[in-house]
Amino acid sequence: MNLAPKKITLTEWDERFIELQSAGINQPKYGGPLRRYLTDGDLRLEKLKFDNSPASLNLWNFLLTEEDRLHASRKEGRKIIGTMKDLGTVPVMAYSLPNVTAFYPDGAWWTPCVMEMSSGVLAVADSLGIDESFCPVRAMLGAFVTKAHFPDPDLIVCSVGATCDDFSAIAQRLNGLGYPILWWEILHRRKPERNEQSVKLPGGFECPVGQVEFVESELQRVKLAIESLAGMKIDDKRLCTGIKTANKVRQYLRELRQLTFTARFCPLPALELLIAEMLAIHFCSDQQESLDVLSGLLEEIRKRISAGVGFFDPDAVRIFWVNPVADLRVMNLLEDCGGRICGTDYLFCHALDEIPLDIHPMNALARMALADPMVGSTGDRAQRICNDIGLFGSEAVIVSRIPGASHCALEGAIIADEVRSKMRLPVLEIEVPPLADSILPSLNTRLTALVETVKERRKK
Amino acid sequence: MIYAGIDAGSRTVKAILLDGKELRVLASGIADQGIKQADLAESLLKDILKKAGINRKDVGKIIATGYGRNAIDFADTTITEITCHACGVHHWIPQARTVVDIGGQDSKVLRLEPDGGVRDFVMNDRCAAGTGRFLEVVAAKLEVSLNDLGGMAQRAKKASAISSMCVVFAETEIIGLLASGETPENIVAGVQMSITSRITSMAGRNITDPVVFTGGVALIPGMDKALESAINHKIIISPEPQMTGALGAAILAGREGLEHVSIIG
Repeated sequence: MNLAPKKITLTEWDERFIELQSAGINQPKYGGPLRRYLTDGDLRLEKLKFDNSPASLNLWNFLLTEEDRLHASRKEGRKIIGTMKDLGTVPVMAYSLPNVTAFYPDGAWWTPCVMEMSSGVLAVADSLGIDESFCPVRAMLGAFVTKAHFPDPDLIVCSVGATCDDFSAIAQRLNGLGYPILWWEILHRRKPERNEQSVKLPGGFECPVGQVEFVESELQRVKLAIESLAGMKIDDKRLCTGIKTANKVRQYLRELRQLTFTARFCPLPALELLIAEMLAIHFCSDQQESLDVLSGLLEEIRKRISAGVGFFDPDAVRIFWVNPVADLRVMNLLEDCGGRICGTDYLFCHALDEIPLDIHPMNALARMALADPMVGSTGDRAQRICNDIGLFGSEAVIVSRIPGASHCALEGAIIADEVRSKMRLPVLEIEVPPLADSILPSLNTRLTALVETVKERRKK
Repeated sequence: MIYAGIDAGSRTVKAILLDGKELRVLASGIADQGIKQADLAESLLKDILKKAGINRKDVGKIIATGYGRNAIDFADTTITEITCHACGVHHWIPQARTVVDIGGQDSKVLRLEPDGGVRDFVMNDRCAAGTGRFLEVVAAKLEVSLNDLGGMAQRAKKASAISSMCVVFAETEIIGLLASGETPENIVAGVQMSITSRITSMAGRNITDPVVFTGGVALIPGMDKALESAINHKIIISPEPQMTGALGAAILAGREGLEHVSIIG
């Protein structure tokens, strides 16, 4: 059996799966061939290229069986909480209790990423007045209405305030359809005034202590609601244990990123790394299994690095990528054009930082929530991107805009200007719609031109 | 050694033969683009080889660029039009720091390093409003040829305000302007201003002099003045603006050929 790292198509995965089965490889209970998801409507899979490792197979299977897990949770009588517009805070609380499953309904924006238009969720959102002028996260509204992707949660929690305007509007529309939502307010992070006591936040930011206190009080309301639903207390001991488990996921992801970005031969393609990073937000509805999947992936890439094998030439251009893409093929395209991923900011990089354990756990969660790049200034976000560029040695930056996402329209130019002036790197701004077929040739030209530009710069 | 550059653009295909040693253009040609892009490019290459009295086997390397570059199957390799335009413009005007290229169906702004390398670029190929396509639409609507537009714009008393952000809606707006008695000359000047204002918003604040204007649209009289007024920088029209992509491809073919020679030597 050939175990050399290779990017393979879905058809090649069919053959490889048979090889792996014959070799007696252990599969988790959700394991199986990827082809079955195509039959279920995940049409995009046929157009992607995948990493050929068993660890990546587990990652894909884990991602694509989340709906099954949620329905199984419902059957088992577990309490299900939808944690919306929350990039990694409330799920930590929820997973501190043994009988609660948290999930991320916003994750339905991935539905068109793998199902293209076959799921119909965007059309449903259209029919409810949430059209393509909104962020593709509007798919969440369609998913609630069709009930085809996840069971109705027992509790829906959604942050509001200094978050995404699009998402607030979409969640309000959902509320208007009769879904009760427990709103909690997040503040716009700001620097303390001279007379205000300052608090250091994960990621290197700071804010006034009053902001942390306010957010902590908001999170206390959420905590009470979760406790009431679950019928048990989230005491400090439980919460600290939950934080430690979340931190373990974050540690794995940090190591995975560090190794992938800095190894001579890239050990993991951009697409699989993107999916792995998403586990930081909501654990794909199973925190323990997230740890197993990530540790398997880490083991695989450590093996690859120590064997000196990987993808692409060592001279592949090292690209820092900003914002997730709505058409996953673009991550493949980057590599086809001669690039490799070397640094990412998919809007939730704070969820990769460890939650402090040396302070009260609720205070620590409030600090994490305030470290979210979406609740601070774009300048802060750009600064963090510049820091990471320095850390990973990226040679160029791609800012990928999401059509309809209002924050993208405003942030792109600011981030690009900051990177150009501080890091003296070329920056390419692109826009990737959920169906990018018609623009793939022009994206190819832009990505290739960026790669050519960096290679020319290297000669100097 | 002789090198060839082919620029398979969206409206036309261009080819250049270059003396690699002296960096002298030996022959060049241009033809309308069509469905069989490779055949058209091959035929154009044959024509210019014949014109220059050069045998095909004496051509060391061929590089294709442009929108249709991947269709040119007889080329040795492809390089994007961004890199090729930068190289071509730098050859003509070494001090150039900004290149504005407006072609038939796209437009780009390149920022150059002092040595001619690309520092950064922005590109519009999703909206016809900042491209030569807008001029084609207005020429058709006014029933004049593209070549007439420059003279008409120069005779304009005042550029009409074209407020639509989309060529399709702008076409409707033009019909309305004609119906209200606006002169075709003023409308053409207004369209030129509209195209260049799109370039301004694409380029942003970072325009460094000297600014060189290239691409087929640079050949239309008045466009340089409209661009100059929109970006508030003096504009230099590149020599042979339609050919800079093909020229850059030929120069890069020469460089790659020389690198190859030094490696095998």
